[in-house]
Amino acid sequence: MNVEQAVRDSAVRRIAYSILAGAVRGRRERGGDWGEAVLAEFAETTGDAEAVRWAAGGLRTVWRERRARRRELPRIVRIRRRAVLVVLIGLLAGLVVNRFVLTVGRVWSGSMETSYLIGDRYVVDLAAFRLTGVHRGDVVEFTMPGTDRLVIKRVIGLPGDTVECRDGRVRLNGAPLDEAYLSPDPDLSHTADCAATTVPPHRLYLLGDHRIVSEDSRTYGPVDEHALRGRILLRF
Amino acid sequence: MPRIPHTSPQTLLLFSALLDEPQRWRYGYDLSKETALASGTLYPILMRLAEQKLLKTAWEPSDEPGRPPRHLYRLTADGAALAGQRLEAKAAKPRTIGPAIQARTA
Repeated sequence: MNVEQAVRDSAVRRIAYSILAGAVRGRRERGGDWGEAVLAEFAETTGDAEAVRWAAGGLRTVWRERRARRRELPRIVRIRRRAVLVVLIGLLAGLVVNRFVLTVGRVWSGSMETSYLIGDRYVVDLAAFRLTGVHRGDVVEFTMPGTDRLVIKRVIGLPGDTVECRDGRVRLNGAPLDEAYLSPDPDLSHTADCAATTVPPHRLYLLGDHRIVSEDSRTYGPVDEHALRGRILLRF
Repeated sequence: MPRIPHTSPQTLLLFSALLDEPQRWRYGYDLSKETALASGTLYPILMRLAEQKLLKTAWEPSDEPGRPPRHLYRLTADGAALAGQRLEAKAAKPRTIGPAIQARTA
């Protein structure tokens, strides 16, 4: 039986053969002896199931053969390859973490003074806050409504809370809020009066710690949770 | 205790298949059929045996166009001696191998 004939008879066999051939030969004309040996016997198999099993075992053989060949390389080459691999994997893992798990950001405005000064850097949790939720007093990073700027503000009101500013202080659900994170300097912390707002579902009432300059939920209302990017874990 | 090489049930299966007719060149596929070993088990064993000069390999010239040459296997004198020895040792101590393997090698 000719290889082409044996391979022609079903799509499964054709795919199994080409996967094995690809693994054995790659872009070369001829692969390693043992890979070629398994490949040459492929035509002997009958039926799809046997062909697939044969090809799967062939992949394992190819892997073993490659490993044996790698062991014959000079030590320095093996170490160098391993080092390059480790660096590449590390870079890739770093990129994934930076994109989806943790990243760093930098403060560009004075709206969170004096907790966060201009130029401060911070670490943002991009994932875990989605499981644990955010709490009052957390600092979150989000896209400022109507812009594409990432900013940080403090969570004052959760859905269902009523927030109001009166007598220079924030009142949460009617009671004055104790805000230890604010600057003792009233030039920063004095909160101008604002109308009582009840936070709708899936939104957050966010304020900057610098109550005089901060542009926040007092201007653009409670922020949609989808605008949230992360929760600030620490400042450095 | 270090493991004695070439005593795995799979290797013993292969030894007994190869020892059936020690002088005849064998195909990988036929050995796989005879021993019921998958290609992924059989070929690594063949590789190891060949590397240790217990197995001779050769390429059978292709007799049809479009068909690649097939790889052939035969035990060397050392290989045959070792295989006989390992199979005898197993026969002397049958308990070390599972009954299912014994049934297949019988």
